Amino acid sequence: MPDSAYFLPAYLLLGLPFLGFLLLWSAGKGFNKPAGWAGALITASGLVISLLYADIHALHIINFHWLSIGQTPIDLSFRFDVLTCIMLAIVHFVALLVQLYSISYLHGDKNLHRYFAFIQLFLFSMIGIVLSGSLLVMYIFWELVGLSSYLLIGFWYLKPRAVWAAQKAFVLNRIGDAAFLTGILMLFYYIGSTDFEVIASNLDTINPGILTAIGFCLFGGCMGKSAQFPLSGWLPDAMEGPTPVSALIHAATMVAAGIFLLARISFLLTFEARLVIAIIGTITMLIGAVKAMQVWDIKRVLAYSTMSQLGLMVVAVGFGSWQTAMFHLATHAFFKAGLFLSAGSVIHAVSPANADLNFDPQDMRTMGGLRKALPVTFSCFTICAASLAGLPFFSGFLSKDAIITEGFLWAGELGALFYVFPILVIFSAGLTAYYMTRQLWLVFFGENRFSISQIHPHESPALMWLPMAFLAALSLFFWFSWNPFDAAGWFLAFIGQEAEAHLAWVPVIASAVTFVSISLAFRQTKTENPFKVVASKPVDNLVIETRKFAWLRDYSNTDYFIIPFAFITKYLKIFEKRFIDSIIDRIAKMSVVLGHLIGWFDRFFVDGGVNLIVYSIRSGGQAVRNLQNGKIQSYYIVTVMGLFLLILWLVIL
Amino acid sequence: MIDHILTLLIAIPLLGAAAVAVWPAKRPESFRIIALVALALEFLLAAFLYFSFDNGNPGHQLSEVTDWITLPIGALGVVSIDYALAVDGISFPLVLLAVVVLFVGVISSWNIVQKSRAYFALYLLLTGSVIGCFLAQDFFLFYLFFEFMLLPMYFLIGLWGGPRREYAALKFFIYTFFGSLLILIVMIALYLSVIDPLETAKAVGILGIDDPIHPDLISQIQQWLIDGKIAPEQLVHTFRFAYLADPNNYIPGSLLSIASEYSIGSIPLRLLAFWFLFVGFAVKLPVVPVHTWLPDAHVEAPTPISVVLAGILLKIGGYGFIRIVDGFFPVEAQHSAVPLAILGMISIVYGGFNALGQSDLKKMIAYSSVSHMGFVLLGVAAFTAEGINGAIYQMVSHGVLSAMLFILTGVVYDRTHDRRIDHYRGLIAVMPQYTIITGIAFFASLGLPGFSGFVGELFTLMGAFQSEALPVWIPALSTLGIVLAAAYFLWTYQRMFFGAFWYKNGSLHVLSDLTRREKGMLIPLVILTILLGLLPGILFDMTGPTVEAWLGGLE
Repeated sequence: MPDSAYFLPAYLLLGLPFLGFLLLWSAGKGFNKPAGWAGALITASGLVISLLYADIHALHIINFHWLSIGQTPIDLSFRFDVLTCIMLAIVHFVALLVQLYSISYLHGDKNLHRYFAFIQLFLFSMIGIVLSGSLLVMYIFWELVGLSSYLLIGFWYLKPRAVWAAQKAFVLNRIGDAAFLTGILMLFYYIGSTDFEVIASNLDTINPGILTAIGFCLFGGCMGKSAQFPLSGWLPDAMEGPTPVSALIHAATMVAAGIFLLARISFLLTFEARLVIAIIGTITMLIGAVKAMQVWDIKRVLAYSTMSQLGLMVVAVGFGSWQTAMFHLATHAFFKAGLFLSAGSVIHAVSPANADLNFDPQDMRTMGGLRKALPVTFSCFTICAASLAGLPFFSGFLSKDAIITEGFLWAGELGALFYVFPILVIFSAGLTAYYMTRQLWLVFFGENRFSISQIHPHESPALMWLPMAFLAALSLFFWFSWNPFDAAGWFLAFIGQEAEAHLAWVPVIASAVTFVSISLAFRQTKTENPFKVVASKPVDNLVIETRKFAWLRDYSNTDYFIIPFAFITKYLKIFEKRFIDSIIDRIAKMSVVLGHLIGWFDRFFVDGGVNLIVYSIRSGGQAVRNLQNGKIQSYYIVTVMGLFLLILWLVIL
Repeated sequence: MIDHILTLLIAIPLLGAAAVAVWPAKRPESFRIIALVALALEFLLAAFLYFSFDNGNPGHQLSEVTDWITLPIGALGVVSIDYALAVDGISFPLVLLAVVVLFVGVISSWNIVQKSRAYFALYLLLTGSVIGCFLAQDFFLFYLFFEFMLLPMYFLIGLWGGPRREYAALKFFIYTFFGSLLILIVMIALYLSVIDPLETAKAVGILGIDDPIHPDLISQIQQWLIDGKIAPEQLVHTFRFAYLADPNNYIPGSLLSIASEYSIGSIPLRLLAFWFLFVGFAVKLPVVPVHTWLPDAHVEAPTPISVVLAGILLKIGGYGFIRIVDGFFPVEAQHSAVPLAILGMISIVYGGFNALGQSDLKKMIAYSSVSHMGFVLLGVAAFTAEGINGAIYQMVSHGVLSAMLFILTGVVYDRTHDRRIDHYRGLIAVMPQYTIITGIAFFASLGLPGFSGFVGELFTLMGAFQSEALPVWIPALSTLGIVLAAAYFLWTYQRMFFGAFWYKNGSLHVLSDLTRREKGMLIPLVILTILLGLLPGILFDMTGPTVEAWLGGLE
């Protein structure tokens, strides 16, 4: 198909969700019931359109003229290629399932129409990122994704913590975006365009040092959106939003945007930039995995796990293999969305009928033994967890395997020191298996530990478990590769990964580590106090922090941004008051003193002199004195007259 | 009428002011109606201008030039002051903005009943002078309008303001007066250094009254000046912008001639004059550290005056940078690009941090203005097409957004006389429409794509990155401003609007949602910021050719 044929899908893919947003939002509360179905319909048609126009053999670019500054035109370009195809399919598919799930999950919420409107706005922005043909376009939609994430996390605006989490997400993202914007503007300066094609063809005109700096800056955007250290603090807090939102944007799509960005720009990343990316990714991966082993909130475990997995994808880009990163992004999108939806189903099941402020339905310490009451949820959760843990025959095994292989190949070329990266990846895979086993056991096995009596766990309705089941089914290996032990299936071939040397021992080692961790976790369940579940008391997390800047502070202890911010603000304010303003004040006071002196001089010498000489001019002196009556008008007149005199003086001279 | 449309644009509000002053009726309603009619006429004229303005023409349009004062003053030659008005791509967007903001300001003044005759007379006086400032093409005329603004502004703050109004008004007055004094000094020095070549040629007799102007005339005059063939009495001095901006019209050996050897200490006189002018307009913009009048003036000023102050008056500072400071001293401006850009960066960051530390809503917005106007300075300092266009765009965008923000502040203040951010919580429960429009204004101001704020920041920053004179770290650090903007706007939004409803000093009955009048002001502004954000070409097509020609002329 010619490029011009792609205007239509671009209009439809972007226009439909945006119209959906406007319509659903303005439709009002009366539209609450059909809103979800309308949203799902729009997304379903988007899915159909994106599949119809999937043309993996060619690149299609369309351009819109936006504005010209002088002679420089600034265009907005959109592109369709393999990467677009994959992302469009993933985004639409997960969004469709999540919306269907939400219809049932949020049933009865009085602002439901707004919820689905915001989901459509999110899709509009996310699809914009996916279609963008230049970094400028991507930045525009990037920010809009930030907005829709803000609106969705803060959807329950009466909950102070939800609103806090929303703005924290936005502000931390903004820090990354500032760097992203800097990178974009540097590209504008050095190349004159941010169009991916133009950059690719002009890459050799840039000094490698500057290219590295640009790479760092652009990676800043990824650090924000994909929750990389040190901008990761918002992701766990974002769990305050509705659970389906977490599944959609904080597991499958929005947080994947950072990885997508890296995949798009991977051609311009220099070795140094890649190395830093790999280091940051590794740190994030380990922090996420360790934190996930410690927290008790069912969703936060998944959030930290997401952070860890995103770190893994970033490491893959650092290894120079964006293809495996995308592969893991795809498999992760399905199994993590499945995990979140299952977690939502659990929360749904254990929420007491009348909200009890002292009971937190997301605390795993008050769960346990739910596998009998929730058989479907249990099986979906287990399948997705197995995939996340990287057990053979599941999709996660394939993609993780592919990244580890890439890591060893990469390190093999560079030297012994670099083996630390793939080894850490294997280590973190072990941690992953451990914390997933822990979560599975805490939620579904053992005895139930409900702290209050009115909980009657029940299986969720079909509208909820069907999407879960779909996602669980997609976590099996055969969707991505026919050979359960070889990642090099159709998917990697599809996104253009060359068939490389296959390291046969990698799957063996990786599985061995996984099984060891699982058995360690299993042994823990046999102890007297498994995972210290009894000893640790539920913290009262409903206490609202009222300290200044508490909103940016994590409920965990990632304070590092706040301290300097609060410090600078405090002292600048004092500086402003004590220094700048007081200088002006002093000058003002000194002028008043001077004015009095002159006035005194005026009265005693000038006036007195005048009095002495000519008595009759006294009235004139009086008039002069009257001018100093503290009224601004007279000062003004004096000044204007002075000016005139000055000019006159100049003129006569 | 069409020939004198610009004069009309200045005259209507001034006539309106006179009408308000002498109107026999005592009912306060009649004054505001006169003011509204005057501004409505302005609006219609501006709309007409918008459609007749030729975007492709980089030169002056709708020019009106009349000799005003011609005064031979002996050895100092002849003073020639012209009544010269014109619009071009640089001033026209600001004229449109002024009309819109001032129109909104009248509607926002609707409930002022105390001394309303004086209020509306002063308001119209202010309107006339502000518009005059943007239209004037003669420095003397410009300065006249510039000074003329101060007086009504002083009274509007000092008589109708809040509790510390007198302090604020005086502070405003002293600061801006200090600024204008610096401008005046340079104006006189410029006057002594520049001649009107045509009039001088006529006076000397090189050019007959009806002779066509031949191309070598200016160089011929310059040669005569160097040779000393022209007596000082014959020199016709001028204030016209067009002549002041052209180095060929400077008298060789005069105070500010291009190769001037005059200096004070080790600072060349031209550089000094440049900095004097810069500081003069920097007070207006305002640039840190001469900004402290702004928060006080805003906090004390009544809502409509805050709207006008932030929406339009600050822009005269930015306009002065482009037209006058850079226009007359381009070489010095390019040499000083780094310090100027650093001042812009400091304004952006410093204003942002201070906004983050405020607990008074209006003060927070005032500091956000300091931060946003810092982008204007950054763009101007860059001296590139993107930077200058972006600066003009940012001024228009900030004019629209700050007008919205101050009206929104006025909404709660009108109801409760309380602007403390921490005295409110969960306003969304009682004022849902107010919450939505505030949300739009906040997100637009923090630079969300789709709204005008984003485009202004993007292009001023882009201009600064493109500039050869500026090191990369200046604009890179300036991007901290967009982080801070997100922080202070969203934090305020969260504290005031979300959570369970609570108001410190009373019940919720006081807090009613937006009235029709308030929506009537806010919704058009919302539409405007979205329109400008989606189709920035509306402005860039207008400013682009002029800025390009202007930059080309300065090379």
